[in-house]
Amino acid sequence: MRLPEIDRGDTIAHRLLIGFISMVSGMRLPDAARVAFYHKEFFGTPMGAWTHAAMRGPSPWSVAERELMAAMVAKWNASAFCISAHGAVAAKTMKRQSVDSALADFRSAPISPTLRAALVFLEIMTLRPLELSAEHAAAALRSGVTDDALQDAIAVATVFNIIARYADALDFAMPSADEFDRAATMLLKRGYAA
Amino acid sequence: MTSSRPDHNALAETLKRQVFQGPGVTDPALRQRVAARAAGGPPIEAPYDDLARQIGEAASGTTDAQVADVLAAARSEKAAFEVIAAAATGAAMLRWERAIKALEEARHAPA
Repeated sequence: MRLPEIDRGDTIAHRLLIGFISMVSGMRLPDAARVAFYHKEFFGTPMGAWTHAAMRGPSPWSVAERELMAAMVAKWNASAFCISAHGAVAAKTMKRQSVDSALADFRSAPISPTLRAALVFLEIMTLRPLELSAEHAAAALRSGVTDDALQDAIAVATVFNIIARYADALDFAMPSADEFDRAATMLLKRGYAA
Repeated sequence: MTSSRPDHNALAETLKRQVFQGPGVTDPALRQRVAARAAGGPPIEAPYDDLARQIGEAASGTTDAQVADVLAAARSEKAAFEVIAAAATGAAMLRWERAIKALEEARHAPA
């Protein structure tokens, strides 16, 4: 269920900002950005800080690889909005075919072996977290995922296990493919910090 | 690169502290119960139980009625939002903690 206050903004400044960005971009500001502005001190600020660090901070993973991880976590959560949103960002910096192949079956997709190994770990983390063991982490490390890289991947999966859940609970509106594409350009340029 | 890497532990702790203990419209104790329920914990009071469990298990199946019931009980949109944020964060932090524990144990496992 959508919350009207998120739609319109909870302060005069946020309402003006939502209206201004929508006008300049020529499209309705996506709900993901509206939530980032909403009740900001409670949630948007700490959530944006971690999400931006995980998605855009220094990491052995490229931005495209992290966006693909986000899209995969969205897929495992069956979050249509997040699959499209982050699949679109990933496709800006890697081949669309690779993104689509990974979303269909990451085990056979043309992605690096280390990314594939990280995704094996993240899939268990997302779908069956109580089954996670040292052996799962060790398998990723043996496959060439470094300690730092695995921790970064875990951070990406964690923030998107949050985002996918509130996106669906709040019934985010689905933009068109063209709007997702334009929003992806904005996300690449501006990142996630609220 | 090592010195400028994000401190994910600190960022996670900041988020947890704010969402589970920080100032908000709702009682932090309610947010903590909601978070624990979304992470697979014991049932809590209605109507929060149903929404927290749903967000934890399969948020894509959340119904308007589940959110509307919490909105009515919590009496404001900000309060309902805090409940949803707490549930989502609770479910994800379970995954963070299990994953980091697995990584730490793998680090210390004999070669």
